[in-house]
Amino acid sequence: MHHAHIDKFAYQDSPIHRLDARAKLAVTLIATLLIVALPRFSPDLAFYTWLGPFVLLVLGRIPIQFVAKHILWALPFILVLALTSLWYDRTETTILFGPFQWHSTMGWLKCLTLTAKFVGSMLALTALICTTRFSDLLMVLQRWHVPEILVIQLGFLYRYIFVLIDKAHHTKQARTLRTLKRLPTKQELRIGAAMIGSVLVQSLDTSTHITQAMQARGFTGQWHSPRQFHIKPADWLFMAIATLYIGLLLHLGSMY
Amino acid sequence: MTAIDIKDFSFHYPDGTPALNRVSLSIEPGEKVLLIGPNGAGKSSLLLAMAGFAQGTGSVVVEGLKVTKKNLKAIRQVLGCCLENPDDQLFMPTLFEDIAFGPLNMGLSQAEIEQRVTQALTTVGLADKAHKPPHHLSAGQKRAAAIATVLSMAPRIITLDEPDGSLDPRRRIELQTLLKSLTQTLVIATCNMNFAYALADRVILVDHGQIVADGTAQTIMTDRALMETHGLELPAL
Repeated sequence: MHHAHIDKFAYQDSPIHRLDARAKLAVTLIATLLIVALPRFSPDLAFYTWLGPFVLLVLGRIPIQFVAKHILWALPFILVLALTSLWYDRTETTILFGPFQWHSTMGWLKCLTLTAKFVGSMLALTALICTTRFSDLLMVLQRWHVPEILVIQLGFLYRYIFVLIDKAHHTKQARTLRTLKRLPTKQELRIGAAMIGSVLVQSLDTSTHITQAMQARGFTGQWHSPRQFHIKPADWLFMAIATLYIGLLLHLGSMY
Repeated sequence: MTAIDIKDFSFHYPDGTPALNRVSLSIEPGEKVLLIGPNGAGKSSLLLAMAGFAQGTGSVVVEGLKVTKKNLKAIRQVLGCCLENPDDQLFMPTLFEDIAFGPLNMGLSQAEIEQRVTQALTTVGLADKAHKPPHHLSAGQKRAAAIATVLSMAPRIITLDEPDGSLDPRRRIELQTLLKSLTQTLVIATCNMNFAYALADRVILVDHGQIVADGTAQTIMTDRALMETHGLELPAL
């Protein structure tokens, strides 16, 4: 089956793809921490955090439409949280955004900041995933002595999520082929529950086979990648620019 | 040294259903052995037992190494197994990485890994597909790729479970040619009698978890009474 993998662009070739996975992961982690730590009422600053990942996505030749689609998929979850701020904090304030300003409430300010921070983090993570192979990321985590069990879990999750999607798709197809009319809700629910159960059982079975195939080829819990890691001048340049960018954001954040 | 030696091996599924019942057999290096039998006869369980995935009573010895947890790592460098469904066998994002998976786990050097991957891909005729995602290959190509994942580890014994499944006649003939060209010891489970007859040095008929007959393809597969008793057809000679 052909999946619309979130990392389907990770196999492209671009200056960003060629950067060392360690440099990209370190910068992404620091940038994400910075975004989380930004002042709670700083929507303009949160919007500035979009710039860095956006440049990486453009240089990495990742279609912005693809990125936007994934962010929109996840956005409702954070919007539910962000919109609740509107009810809790109705203190009047003036919102400044670059040369613009308007009157609103602190709740709106918080809502905007939270949403902008979320989009900023999503952009940073998407830029990382779309320009770095997952097996390379696992290798980096291993080299950084992240607990082995966590690295194995991540590796299996990456593989089995697609097994689950495949099974769900096949089961849905089989159901659609034999659906001639809509049944009473209670019956539909019963069938739905049976389908979910069947998908999980089948996925478990397939996962067992995949594990066997991996073990048969010598997998003992250590992930290996055929790619070699070398910090090159381009990686130093990337890290220097990222440090300047993060430093500037920190400086701006300290002025709040 | 005997390639595979199985003595009095019995295995039950977790729900208690017997899969293999006191199976004994011995396979010599370089033999091409075809396991034939109806569905549910125990062929796949027998292959899994050889690879150490079916723990039962009795003994399974691969090139002098008893199949125990301690020896599994060494055994898996000697015996490569191809599962029934190639989609289970191909789990990495690109064909190159999938075929390099085994050699990487063996701790080979980068140069040797690349050489082995290239050689395995060339052997199965997929050299131009190295950087394709495996799930974008056709059924025949996936089957060939699954075999390449094992060939890259250069095992001396290869087990294949229903390798001809869902292949069109042309791909089946290509696979037959490929398997005939391999010098390794091959143990292949199949329900396709023509495929088995074309390949086999030796045929083992399995039914109800037991070995019913063991001999040359000529002796066993032309015995109408024997074949029909076990729900099998005669090959089209």
